[in-house]
Amino acid sequence: MVHDKKKPEASLRRRRPYRELPHTADLAWRLWGASLPELFENAGCALSATLTDRRYLRRRATREVRLSAFDQETLLVDWLNHLLYLFDLDGFLGRDFQVESLTSERLKARVTGESFDPTRHPERTAVKAATFHQLSIVPVGDGWQATVVLDL
Amino acid sequence: MIKLRQIDEYRWEIPREGKMRTRGLIFSSKEMLPVLQADQSLQQVANVATLPGIVGPSLAMPDIHWGYGFAIGGVAAFDLAEGVVSPGGVGYDINCGVRLLRTRLSREQVMPRMEALVNALFTNIPSGVGSRRKDFKLTGAAFKKALKDGVRWAVKEGFGEAGDLAHIEAGGAIEGADPEAISDFALNRGKDQMGTLGSGNHFVEMGYVDEIYDAALAGQLGLFRDQVTAIVHTGSRGLGHQVCEDYIKVMLKASAKYGIELPDRQLCCAPITSPEGQRYLAAMAGAANFAFANRQMITHWVRESFEQVFQMGPGQLGLELVYDVAHNIAKIETHVVEGQPRKLCVHRKGATRAFPPHHPEVPKAYRETGQPVLIPGDMGRYSFVLVGTQKALEETFGSTCHGAGRMMSRHQAKKAARGRSIIQELAAKGIVVRGAGRGTIDEEISEAYKDVSEVVDVVHGAGIAKKVARLKPLGAIKG
Repeated sequence: MVHDKKKPEASLRRRRPYRELPHTADLAWRLWGASLPELFENAGCALSATLTDRRYLRRRATREVRLSAFDQETLLVDWLNHLLYLFDLDGFLGRDFQVESLTSERLKARVTGESFDPTRHPERTAVKAATFHQLSIVPVGDGWQATVVLDL
Repeated sequence: MIKLRQIDEYRWEIPREGKMRTRGLIFSSKEMLPVLQADQSLQQVANVATLPGIVGPSLAMPDIHWGYGFAIGGVAAFDLAEGVVSPGGVGYDINCGVRLLRTRLSREQVMPRMEALVNALFTNIPSGVGSRRKDFKLTGAAFKKALKDGVRWAVKEGFGEAGDLAHIEAGGAIEGADPEAISDFALNRGKDQMGTLGSGNHFVEMGYVDEIYDAALAGQLGLFRDQVTAIVHTGSRGLGHQVCEDYIKVMLKASAKYGIELPDRQLCCAPITSPEGQRYLAAMAGAANFAFANRQMITHWVRESFEQVFQMGPGQLGLELVYDVAHNIAKIETHVVEGQPRKLCVHRKGATRAFPPHHPEVPKAYRETGQPVLIPGDMGRYSFVLVGTQKALEETFGSTCHGAGRMMSRHQAKKAARGRSIIQELAAKGIVVRGAGRGTIDEEISEAYKDVSEVVDVVHGAGIAKKVARLKPLGAIKG
């Protein structure tokens, strides 16, 4: 890594917040965040960007999300699956994700976005669920890194 | 790399090693092996072999590919008393499956109107990312009835005919479904998704019989050359995904509670006799029934679309159900193991039941032929109709392959499709395709899949299903 200067606020995009890993049948992500809340926010962005082009989503509605799980990794899977639940319920997709508080067992977040409208939003890839397969969250030099495999 | 020992032309063994309680048995040709060895699917077959109460080998069909936890294309049977049930061994899309309809129409009659037919289907059947029905919502008691009774409920509501029931695996409803075991989250997700196709690799496809391998069997299945057919491929939509998710969380705790060691968390499970195991089976049956009913409702709109476009009545069209099979399911079945009949919980994840002639669970119409097995291919090539065999019953708990199996990731497929019009390429081959999004069509290009004929030749050669006919696509709507 070349980013050794300590200016975390000034260089937020030191690494890509999410990228795809090769996986034949499904979709795997490598997620990154300078902090754990940011990692979770980036996971939300990655999900919206998989389903559609996030830039077309307007900030029209807000959803408050409160989740609890028995460990951090389960919480990440639950968070993604809850976002998929909101999408199935009335088409809601998040443009912005704000994690307000996060412990290893609890998450409180605010998601702003709107309902998916096929006339305005491009259709990308449908996601059935985030899975526990090869799931990991690990500290890295400049923050946190997670691996999540999605069932498509 | 996982050790493999060749048994014969189509059988390969992963010898029992380390924590494995049994061996792995893979059906494949020599040519297809390198693809299997390139990913982690063989390791996954070995992982399943470590689970408690597994009976017989951990099985893999020739279309096996890397899944999550269990490989896709895997079959595993567990003893009812000592074994486990695992939501990961069924998958998120509970009772994803395929049904085949035949018609009295010939290819020449249908081809000139194919575009109109595809458009009618596209209008009548919501498809694509987040598809939902505006005209049909399930609530309260009716919803619970649908989950309990599956296709019986749909037929009572006027979707399809009573005659359809006999031509569906398990008669279109798995017994023991308990709507109370299904969370409100799952019910909310499914309430306006009954009668929708969804996305991914799901489709409704019209095709024609282009080759017959066994004239007598084809005749008994009501199939003839150049006959137009329709295939519906979809599952339990968000309701099933949520049931799987809910119970994976239950099973993560249960695995710890019952001291089950897991090589991969996604394999989490519980003893079949435990309250957790029983509740999962009751919820899974409900989701499976939702999927059976979903395919039934879609069939109703397929019939309506044909009637609209061809201005013919049901009698003239003859759109009858050949069969409907589940390929993501766990079933309680009796199998003979070492000469003794035993009740087992057979997990089929990306595998199709293939029961032989005269099996009590095969409907009367197919007593002499064996249960029809439907193997869809990719959208550009062909699909196959086979029947189950005695050998499958003896060797694979009556199971066979389920499809082509992916060869390219979706990402690679999209890259390969870049700068091309897949819809135009298919049109040039005489196939009219309409999809809700360009993305899904690009991801589903032919090259992304193994040639399904290679997969089918392995199961036919190994004797765990028998080829009857090949269908070529004419038009499709894609999710």
